[in-house]
Amino acid sequence: MIDVTYPDSPPTAPRTTPHRRRRRTALYSALALAVVFAAFVGVLATRKSAIDRQARSPLLGLPAPPIVGSSIVDGAHLDLASLRGRFVLVNFFASWCVPCQDEQPQLVKWLGESPSHAIVGVLFSDTPGPAKAFLAANAGTWPALADPDGQLALNYGVRGPPESYLLDGQGIVLAKFVGEVSAAGLDRIVAQAQAAGA
Amino acid sequence: MSEPTAPRQEAVSGSGGRRSTAEAARLRRRAAWGALAVVVVVALVIGARTPAAQTPAQKAASIASEVRCPTCEGQSAEVSDAAAAQAVRTFILAEVEAGQSRGRIEQELEDRYGSDILLRPPASGVAGLVWVLPIVALVLAVAGLAVAFRRWRTVGEAPVTDADRRRVAEALNEDAGGQGP
Amino acid sequence: MNALLGQYAILLGLLACVAGIITIGFGLYRQRAQLLRSGRNYAWFVLGAAVVAVAVMERALVTHDFSLSYVAANGSRETPLLFTVSSLWGALQGSILLWTLILAIYTVAVVVKFRKRVTDPLVAWATLVMFAVGAFFFALMLGPANPFTKVSGTVPIDGPGPNPLLQNHPLMVVHPPMLYAGYVGFSVPFAFAVAALVTGRLGEGWLLETRRWTLLAWGFLSVGIVLGAWWSYEVLGWGGYWAWDPVENASFLPWLCGTAFLHSVMVQERRGMLRVWNLSLVLATFSLTILGTFLTRSGVLDSVHAFTDSSIGPWILAFFGLVLATSIGLIGWRGDRLRSPGAIDSPISREGAFLANNVLFSAFAFVVLLGTVFPLLVEAINGNQLTIGGPYFNRMAEPIALCLLFLMAVAPALPWRKASTELLSSRLLVPAWAAGITLVVCVAAGLRGLDTLACFTLGAFAAAAAIRQLVLATRRSVADGAGWWRGISGRANGGMVVHLGVILIAVAFAASTAYGHRAEFTMKPGQSAAVAGHHITFLGLHTETHPNRTSLVANVRVDGGKVYSPQISNYQADPGGGIGTPSVRSTLIDDVYLTIAIAPQNPGDPTVIGVTVQPLIIWLWIGGGLVALGTLLAIAPGRRRRPVLPASAPAHQPGERPARAERAARIPAGTSAAVEVPPA
Repeated sequence: MIDVTYPDSPPTAPRTTPHRRRRRTALYSALALAVVFAAFVGVLATRKSAIDRQARSPLLGLPAPPIVGSSIVDGAHLDLASLRGRFVLVNFFASWCVPCQDEQPQLVKWLGESPSHAIVGVLFSDTPGPAKAFLAANAGTWPALADPDGQLALNYGVRGPPESYLLDGQGIVLAKFVGEVSAAGLDRIVAQAQAAGA
Repeated sequence: MSEPTAPRQEAVSGSGGRRSTAEAARLRRRAAWGALAVVVVVALVIGARTPAAQTPAQKAASIASEVRCPTCEGQSAEVSDAAAAQAVRTFILAEVEAGQSRGRIEQELEDRYGSDILLRPPASGVAGLVWVLPIVALVLAVAGLAVAFRRWRTVGEAPVTDADRRRVAEALNEDAGGQGP
Repeated sequence: MNALLGQYAILLGLLACVAGIITIGFGLYRQRAQLLRSGRNYAWFVLGAAVVAVAVMERALVTHDFSLSYVAANGSRETPLLFTVSSLWGALQGSILLWTLILAIYTVAVVVKFRKRVTDPLVAWATLVMFAVGAFFFALMLGPANPFTKVSGTVPIDGPGPNPLLQNHPLMVVHPPMLYAGYVGFSVPFAFAVAALVTGRLGEGWLLETRRWTLLAWGFLSVGIVLGAWWSYEVLGWGGYWAWDPVENASFLPWLCGTAFLHSVMVQERRGMLRVWNLSLVLATFSLTILGTFLTRSGVLDSVHAFTDSSIGPWILAFFGLVLATSIGLIGWRGDRLRSPGAIDSPISREGAFLANNVLFSAFAFVVLLGTVFPLLVEAINGNQLTIGGPYFNRMAEPIALCLLFLMAVAPALPWRKASTELLSSRLLVPAWAAGITLVVCVAAGLRGLDTLACFTLGAFAAAAAIRQLVLATRRSVADGAGWWRGISGRANGGMVVHLGVILIAVAFAASTAYGHRAEFTMKPGQSAAVAGHHITFLGLHTETHPNRTSLVANVRVDGGKVYSPQISNYQADPGGGIGTPSVRSTLIDDVYLTIAIAPQNPGDPTVIGVTVQPLIIWLWIGGGLVALGTLLAIAPGRRRRPVLPASAPAHQPGERPARAERAARIPAGTSAAVEVPPA
């Protein structure tokens, strides 16, 4: 093997000039960087996936924004405030959304569990015709409103269907669900709220 | 970029003609830089004039450009064609026409969608660090360079030893002898 | 059959890499040259394995072998052939396969190029590192990112095809391979940097040897980034080309570090200084490519590119940690001992300009990295969610970009070691006047906005300085009888061409951002509208049916001339939303960008047509082309360099091939010091 040393890259011998002592800049910077990057990698490693983060909402614990309109199913007038006293699930959906289709049986099941459960559907970026057919095809019997200018979705902070908000008897937002809901998950939140005295 | 005045340099050579030509060239150059500076400053002053107050539509577009489209990945609500983005634009325009301020509108959107609906991080709190840290890093880097320059200036004063002189002589001999690699 | 062949190919590749590592490692430990010679031959097996795996996958895709789950998820009989071929890199597993193939090609290239120095420990260590990186990627494909898993249950007769966004523009065919050629190319200087640190040899030897590799990788990365911006513009429908999306940033970060390295490496060549810093830059560049891979593929950040959340994240993060630990560890261990003597005399000099360049690029990289990962950090600290988007990056990047434009103007005129004001003033006068005239013309034409005008002025300044260099170099080479083309080839001159490309991109970016107009018009067929000096007429809607999609097409005539057709398509793979496709009229002055913003819900309803007019967009792509051309020119051999002065060149030992500069003729005695030495 050839062991090459270059005259201008000397090993550890100290310099001839009087003012020099060996500077450890590289070592200290490396140590500092090691600490910073270890923390960085730690943060990256322990981070939750993007999907889990979305169920936070600034509306939690606050009164739900009002919903007033006429149902696309039968034209009847609908006011969210008239449903006070029941647990209401505000369900944002679309006929083109596959998870919305998947969650319909769970919604039907939850609605049928108790007279104190109610569901209000709101269309997200969809037209009444296909939505009505969607509900009918999936045994959805609850009222649904069209939201043509998207302001209802905006008031609730909806990022994309399906998203659902569970309200308690006073119209306070208990929980936000991103993605399909399950009847069991809804029941759990309802039970917690009832235990807390809702 | 203003040109610092160079000190007058006395030419060492004897010929008076050459000296005055060189100095005349220097003076011409300086005059050219001076004229350029004037032209640039005037043009920038004219060019920097901000346009008249924005129409509500322009103001709404400007606010929307700093709001994230709720359903897209990373596009702003101003440019996206998604339904949710259009809803945001409608909302902002209505609020602007109602006379609400930019801060108020942004707060209203945050109250609905959460703090991550705005594309621009806040200027205060932990999140505000993102504005401060780069400036701190830049200042540190420049300071580090200044220290390094000062150190380099003192390093140059190494005493020349006989061993150094011998090495130089050897290297030059190697050159002259044509004994290249 | 395909799956089996592919699996075995990957296994072979992994085994070959591991065998290479063991053989070379043992050869270095026992100092046996024979082992080193045989160890590097494993590179051919690695290449063979990668080629077979890719060939098998492409065959499976093209013949629609849906027994492979990758083909079942990404293939379709209706997809056009071009996009079927490019669906190899359209999803996670296939993209790792492409990466591995390119890595294998580079490994073999290294082995072939350095075959005469196979017993040199520097080359041996570098080959070992390349094998190690290859081993990681092959292992990835045997583990979480296996492209050759078989479908469980019945084999489907057809598949959904690739993601609709990936099959409506031919740019998809070139953008990822170019980008990967850049990313993977940086493994070579990384391998040599690690080798140099381990062997303690930091003389100019390895730098000069790998200079062209780094330049080539950088060129591919630059082209890949520009192509990505172009794809984003033509496909995504929002009218923009750069959103500071996390994945765009992930590709931009190694580019910034690579650019800083390409400049400061010249200080090392000329003055022998900044060795440890250059090593750090090379190590950082490679680490950032791995970090970028992690950010893209782990689902950690929302992005246009995010592949689905997969289990590959922890593996890549672990590899990133390993690379970081190795880099930081080596620098900490060796860095102080390998410091070079020497000083930079004055900040106003070429060296000083390169130092300033590095400070600015490092600051830029810091800003981009901070902005990209800060939401993760804030959430880890106090749980708040945060978005950092375009407004932050644009605001922070603007002053840095302006300073860089200024440096581009001044630095080529700066001599090495020390500059006098008189020298600078005489060299820069003409470019500065070009800038002044440009500013006056812009203001006279009615353009306003201080930062945009500053960008135009400094851009003109830098462009004039670059053109001045090219003209001087061409004149000199013609006078020397070497032909005019020598004046534009070689590193310095190619670099000036690259600068021109970057200036074009910067100016086009500023102009399109500041002077863009956006409007939406609700129109029925036959109606017209005007925006920003352009006139559009909506002609009507019709539906088109293709094998893989159904499209609603709007015909719009622009400025009484050609008809353009923005669309909304429904692909069989994605029955939910419609995918919008814009239609763009590009001229040298501006682009008219048309989309269908809202399709009519009932027949007879009006259609909402979105129009975006932005100036100078086409110059972004022209600038990108210039960057590519300049890179090729810079790689080509240029004028024979005037050698560095003997005192600062490393002495060479027998057996060590000296750098080319030292073999050239020495500066003849008697040459006046006032002669401008060309910045070769």
